[in-house]
Amino acid sequence: MEESMTNILEIKDLCVEVEGKEILRDLDLIIPEGEVHALLGPNGSGKTTLMMTIIGYPGYEIIGGQILFNGEDIAALDITERARLGIGVSQQRPPTIAGVKLRQVLDFVIANAPQRAQEIDELAQAFQMESFLERDVNAGLSGGEIKRSELFQLLITRPRFVMMDEPDSGVDLEAMSVIGHMTNELLARNHATRPKERRTGLIITHTGNILDYVHADRAHVMIEGCIGCSGNPHILLDQIRKQGYEECVRCELRRRRE
Amino acid sequence: MSKISTVLRRVAKLISPGQVEPPDAKVMSSVGIHIEGQDRSGTYILRDFYPLCALGQTDGLELLPIADALEKYAWLREKYYWQAVPADLDEYTARCAAEPEPQGYFVRVKKGAKTPFPVQACLYITQGNVTQTVHNVVILEEDAELHLITGCATRTGVRSAVHLGVSEHYIGRNAKLTNTMVHSWGPDVEVYPRSGTIVEAGGTFVSNYISLRPARSVQSNPRTWLNGEGASAKYTTIILGSRGSTIDTGGDVYLNGKNSSAELAHRAVCTGGRIYQRGLLVGNAPGCRAHVDCAGMLLDAGENGFIEAVPGLRALHPEARMSHEASIGKIAPEQVAYLQSRGMSEREAISLIIRGFLDADIEGFSPKLDARIAEIAELAGHGEE
Repeated sequence: MEESMTNILEIKDLCVEVEGKEILRDLDLIIPEGEVHALLGPNGSGKTTLMMTIIGYPGYEIIGGQILFNGEDIAALDITERARLGIGVSQQRPPTIAGVKLRQVLDFVIANAPQRAQEIDELAQAFQMESFLERDVNAGLSGGEIKRSELFQLLITRPRFVMMDEPDSGVDLEAMSVIGHMTNELLARNHATRPKERRTGLIITHTGNILDYVHADRAHVMIEGCIGCSGNPHILLDQIRKQGYEECVRCELRRRRE
Repeated sequence: MSKISTVLRRVAKLISPGQVEPPDAKVMSSVGIHIEGQDRSGTYILRDFYPLCALGQTDGLELLPIADALEKYAWLREKYYWQAVPADLDEYTARCAAEPEPQGYFVRVKKGAKTPFPVQACLYITQGNVTQTVHNVVILEEDAELHLITGCATRTGVRSAVHLGVSEHYIGRNAKLTNTMVHSWGPDVEVYPRSGTIVEAGGTFVSNYISLRPARSVQSNPRTWLNGEGASAKYTTIILGSRGSTIDTGGDVYLNGKNSSAELAHRAVCTGGRIYQRGLLVGNAPGCRAHVDCAGMLLDAGENGFIEAVPGLRALHPEARMSHEASIGKIAPEQVAYLQSRGMSEREAISLIIRGFLDADIEGFSPKLDARIAEIAELAGHGEE
């Protein structure tokens, strides 16, 4: 039977400014429900800007185009409203918050869903996060620990659509395998699941290392603020690993001239 | 075992704390006074000018209205009264000294005694435009231990009053006094606490001051003399300032004992009004250590609002080790956004961050006090008048 797929995310002609400078230009992107897409691209191409704009961080100003989440234009919604719609993020360099314990973030989730208390305790145990709970949010954590803490919070908040910014940067091989496992758990890809049962995701990765652990359905290469090309993640990553992003930039410039 | 003071002037009889009227009980509970007396080893309540209740419930603890104690013990006046706070310190102490009939509490914990629960003292104002003067003396004999909770508040609806409070603390060898003072005043109240503490060898003084509702004016500079070897003091001051209030809190500590140590931590959240964070540590003994830390969060300076941090150090001995730090900042927007991205509302996020700021590096707060801090965070986060 044919699965009827809806698009969780639909971005049309998106232009975004940060501090008066245009970072994203006429960007289009569609992510159907249950798919995981990888967003590749050189540093400074606008990957993080796209993610921050989707979650609605202050300072990322939409000057053109649309972001539809599950068919709804979310431009007028603040971060809280977007988070409650089901958009979740794992940041590359999240802020530390002195005096605020990770436990208090969990307590907030539990206060709104008391029936989940036990499940959340079990998740903390299963992912060996207990020692993090009494520490200040993100304070004194190593690169790998920050990723784990971020992914753990997403496992707890269970957003419908998950964005991850460089879950594989600054992480050693051992931690990488843990992060890969957590990401698959988060996206419901550890077990044989039908596409509709999977969570939708967008994984930002410069190196593509995470894709050795997590299978993406599709990849996009971002070049200078827009999507240069899209396709099979393995093929794209293979080319990038052989020829570098320089070739992508040349290719994109050729395309724009034509 | 209970002792109810029987020597009473002008007031027919003292009542038990449970007889306090419910609306007053509610206010008192907000400053840490448990009217039912649960988890308390003693209760003293001063309502306006007369004691309502003075009840010590533990062996080794003596709790009396100060006037009764002065009558009972000649040595109190000779050896203690006005020794840690000079009567001629300023106009406010002079005013207290001139009272023909002093009000306040006398608390003595005898040698080696430890009260199982805190002793609570409530200084309560029910009428507008009055001046309440209080003189308290606390004596901890050798090896004694006491947690004293002082809750000061005005009855709901009372806007204006003056509170003058002299407190003298005498901490004997290896004794430990923890004094937690919680203030919740009407918006036009003026408060001038004057406190002096003398600590003998091995003794410890822990002072926590929390101002929950900002009065128009609070000016306080508690002084502590660490006279004995290894004596220590730790002050923590948590202030919420809002429009129209001036809150000036300090703390002088004289480190005279060998290896004595002092730590002052100021935390202030300003939603308007003027906040001064002071402190002067005077190192005058070999091996003494002192640190003062002022941290302020300026949410909304409002008109003429500010936080001014003046941490002070004075070293008189070459082997004194002394340090200070001070920082003032706003709430970081990326922290708010981060917590919002987990589903919190902006207000919930701000409250949590303020609470974290007030909690940071401060140990030893009971859950009740944590609840007070949460309340400050809530008030500050919501910008209540």
